[in-house]
Amino acid sequence: MTAHGSGGLLAVVSYWEPWWIQIIKSLLVFGVGLSMVPVILILERKGLGRFQNRYGPNRVGVFGIMQPLADILKLLRKEQFRPATSVGLLFALAPVISILTAVATFAIIPFGDVHNLFGTNVGLYGIDVSIGPLYAFAFGAIAFYGIMLGGWASGSKYSFLGAMRGAAQLISYEVALGLSLIGVVFQAGTLSLTGIVHAQQHYGLWFFLPQIVGFLIFMVSGFAETNRAPFDLVEADAELVGGYNTEYGGGRFASYYFAEYLNVFVISGLATTMFLGGWLLPFGIHPPAFIDPIVVLVKMFVFVIVFIWVRATLPRLRYDQLMRFGWKVLLPLATVNALVTAILVVET
Amino acid sequence: MSSVVFFVAAIGVLAGAIGVVVLANPFYSVLALVAHLISLAALFLLLRAEFVAAAQVVVYAGAVMVLYVFVVAYVGGQDQPVRSSGPGLRLIAALFGAALLCELWIAVIGSSLKSLTEHGAPYTPGFGSPSQIGQLLLTRFLEPFEVASFLLLVAAVGAVILARRRRGLGDEDEERLPGFPAISVAEVLSGRVPTGSMAEAAGLGYEVGESAAGTRRQARGGW
Repeated sequence: MTAHGSGGLLAVVSYWEPWWIQIIKSLLVFGVGLSMVPVILILERKGLGRFQNRYGPNRVGVFGIMQPLADILKLLRKEQFRPATSVGLLFALAPVISILTAVATFAIIPFGDVHNLFGTNVGLYGIDVSIGPLYAFAFGAIAFYGIMLGGWASGSKYSFLGAMRGAAQLISYEVALGLSLIGVVFQAGTLSLTGIVHAQQHYGLWFFLPQIVGFLIFMVSGFAETNRAPFDLVEADAELVGGYNTEYGGGRFASYYFAEYLNVFVISGLATTMFLGGWLLPFGIHPPAFIDPIVVLVKMFVFVIVFIWVRATLPRLRYDQLMRFGWKVLLPLATVNALVTAILVVET
Repeated sequence: MSSVVFFVAAIGVLAGAIGVVVLANPFYSVLALVAHLISLAALFLLLRAEFVAAAQVVVYAGAVMVLYVFVVAYVGGQDQPVRSSGPGLRLIAALFGAALLCELWIAVIGSSLKSLTEHGAPYTPGFGSPSQIGQLLLTRFLEPFEVASFLLLVAAVGAVILARRRRGLGDEDEERLPGFPAISVAEVLSGRVPTGSMAEAAGLGYEVGESAAGTRRQARGGW
């Protein structure tokens, strides 16, 4: 390996950035993820409150905006407790897997093009992998073990049932999620996420219009993948107490919570990149480079608000409805969408 | 840096593989296999085969092993050891193990350990990228690729047929939910309501009283 490049392994990931830029970027990606989760939390709690004709949290800080920080501090200061029936090591490991995969996936969301900063070329993203969405799916596959191990290692039937539901749901909807993106990949001709944004620039139209079917399938599957309402059967409170995280408390519960909301943010980011033109602005407006990350963040928060809106609006599905919808509606539809796109791309 | 990653991943691969065989609890065996597969993906990543690494994780760790975990967690979660094998089986296992080891040694020494002193093939940009793999699959390896896809299609169709056989192939069943027999109005009025149905919970079975379902509910005292 060292014979081919002085950068060793780091050179594999990205070919021109010096090592210190990569360390700064990894810290920055983690920092952005960490600081956006409380924002989503307060947005959701205030939003849900307004949807349900009440105020939502309004005691801590101005308008209650410090509420998530108070919640997090409370959770972190709680006693670490685990049931006597639980399996110690796996019980502790499961939330770590969840949080690790969520942050790792967040690294591929591009917040801007490659720019000249500090005398070197720096891409405004964690990494730009040549396999793009496949990277996200690989970590999504590992994220399954976070939920599964958490449920199994708790030694509680509610946790176990919640984890089992999560397993079946994740397998079912990951297929549709993957197939819904194939149309975009066909049109863009590349798997790299920055490449897909560039393709939308050349195409002159963001992919959510020509790929409207894929976009809708992606959004529905995205709700299922993140276990959000109306697909939140994994943690259906009325039946399962809390699902896979029933037995968790304190910091470990906070990690699960963090991972769930970061996953929402990641799905929003993927949707922004694949379907909504990433850092591009409509009508040919080319803002200065420092605006790009703000554009991406605004678009991502549009999706986050949709997530909250849907949660406040739709009731939870029944389990057999969920499975049937995934396998008998979304999967065939996504396959047909991929086929039609392939034919049209070859034709033109 | 890369040699550190190599040794960590290689140790993970070996430890995972040994764990699958040694661990008594099948659930831990499956987890060891998952760890093995993920470490293997890290090795692929070191060889700059990003696509193969991702496919390894998505297909094996993600799809195949998920089903293993699913089944083992439902069926074999207890600490009961795997069925103890007789002396004959052990002998055969040892023989097979020895034969495999011989084969591996022949393969390794057959290459006369050239790779130890060489740097291997030079890296060309684009190697192992999805586009290159796709081109190879549709040109040089077209036939194996098509045969494999046909095999998978057969497996998928077989799975669908097996799953349908369980519930019969009647037309009515299309309307019914799996595990929930449909209730006709006549059945409800005559009191032949299946236990545990919504109609029973609403008290329809209770009022009739004469039927089997009704008496059973009375005997329990209702709720």
